[in-house]
Amino acid sequence: MNRILAFSSRNIKELLRDPLSYIFCLGFPLVMLVIMSIVNQSIPAEANMTIFNIENLSAGIAMFGLSFVMLFTCLTVSKDRSGAFLTRLYASPMRSADFIAGYMLPVLVLALIQLVISFAASLLATVILGENTMNIGGVLLAIVMLLPVAIFFIAAGLLFGSLFNEKSAPGLCSIIISLATILGGVFFDAESAGGIMLDVCNALPFFHAVKAARLAVALQLEDIGVHLLITLAYAVVFSVLASVVFRSKMRADLA
Amino acid sequence: MTAVQAKGLTKKYKAKTAVDSLDLTVEEGELFALLGVNGAGKTTTIRMLTCLSKPTAGEAYICGHKTASESAEVKALVGISPQDTAVAENLTVKENLTLAARIYGFSREKTEQRIREMTELFNLGEVLDSRAKTLSGGWKRKVSIAMALISEPKVLFLDEPTLGLDVLARRELWCAIESLKGKITVILTTHYMEEAEQLSDRIAIMTGGKIHAIGTLQELEQISGETGLENAFVKIAESSMGGASV
Repeated sequence: MNRILAFSSRNIKELLRDPLSYIFCLGFPLVMLVIMSIVNQSIPAEANMTIFNIENLSAGIAMFGLSFVMLFTCLTVSKDRSGAFLTRLYASPMRSADFIAGYMLPVLVLALIQLVISFAASLLATVILGENTMNIGGVLLAIVMLLPVAIFFIAAGLLFGSLFNEKSAPGLCSIIISLATILGGVFFDAESAGGIMLDVCNALPFFHAVKAARLAVALQLEDIGVHLLITLAYAVVFSVLASVVFRSKMRADLA
Repeated sequence: MTAVQAKGLTKKYKAKTAVDSLDLTVEEGELFALLGVNGAGKTTTIRMLTCLSKPTAGEAYICGHKTASESAEVKALVGISPQDTAVAENLTVKENLTLAARIYGFSREKTEQRIREMTELFNLGEVLDSRAKTLSGGWKRKVSIAMALISEPKVLFLDEPTLGLDVLARRELWCAIESLKGKITVILTTHYMEEAEQLSDRIAIMTGGKIHAIGTLQELEQISGETGLENAFVKIAESSMGGASV
């Protein structure tokens, strides 16, 4: 446990001391929240477009922000693997499980803080806009609903950081961030689009994560279970996959 | 007591033999240098002795523990400062030292005590709260060695510890390494003759993955019939390329 805490502490400091992590994980999503709220003010009510309503936007923006956690996890792992720092740690009593937990746990804590800040900003926006569409209970439930996708993104970051070097990994993460935003239905109504687009959205965790969080904000709990289960399944599968790949890469490095 | 022992240690990468049937014994408290040109197999040897690489053949022991089957015990006994400076760039010097101590299971009090000792040994006081990325190459190397030493290893491996450092930084680091003599076993790799001559109790001359001669400076001079380490090294290395072992 000592080793995990020591390594987690290092990783959390590395992330918190990188100004880019604030810009991407917090600044960018919050700016998007403000911009889309302003855009929503210009959409006439008869258009019946509710996707940019703050109660729907908040869940999408929160998931969008989490996707950057993948990028920073990936960068930390790939940078460590390319330098001599990991060589030193490989020669220490640290085991693969210590590395995996040490990479994943601190980022999960940061993701939780990010979710709280993101939803707090949304709640503040409802107060400023004079709307009464969100409440604390729904927000807390939405945060819980988004934890599996946070784990999915962190695991994906560990996976890509283990497989790719620090030059190619960010590019791949950017593609997935874009896909997550489009196929998560963050800025477009996937259900209205229907057809193949909706099928693709349904096959991936992003749409289900956003949907579960939106239902939680609205306190509509009847259909929430299936969306939660799908994102949970993705989180479990990617966590196992990332652990297996990291272990096998570590074994190969020590061969 | 024997600190490090290698018997027929071999590492092959496909057709290339990086280390070829290396036999080596280093006694406790000794400062031992592996001297060789680039590509001689020095780093590969250190990697095998620190469980960072599996030997293709042969065996290695650290304080009686076999590296292949007792890696957990071996890892608890060794410290390594790799050739490339291995520090966490966004952490301060103190945080780097704390990390290195904590992953070896040291308590908070013990960690603080060891940080004080390392600060004194390497004169780290003025940079203790500076982030590693802001330090010069010489400081980073000192921090890297302090990180290897903080866990109180029985055997310390220093892979090219002064590579790329200016003469002043090199001399300063030599003083720190020399102060370890007799306290712990140190194995350092270098291609600087002066460094091996200045620091080592014994020197092994390595080329093409093989050790061609081992001994004190006087013994190497005697073996080669030359005066000075550089001349002795050249003679032994040239003889080895001709196929003969001196």
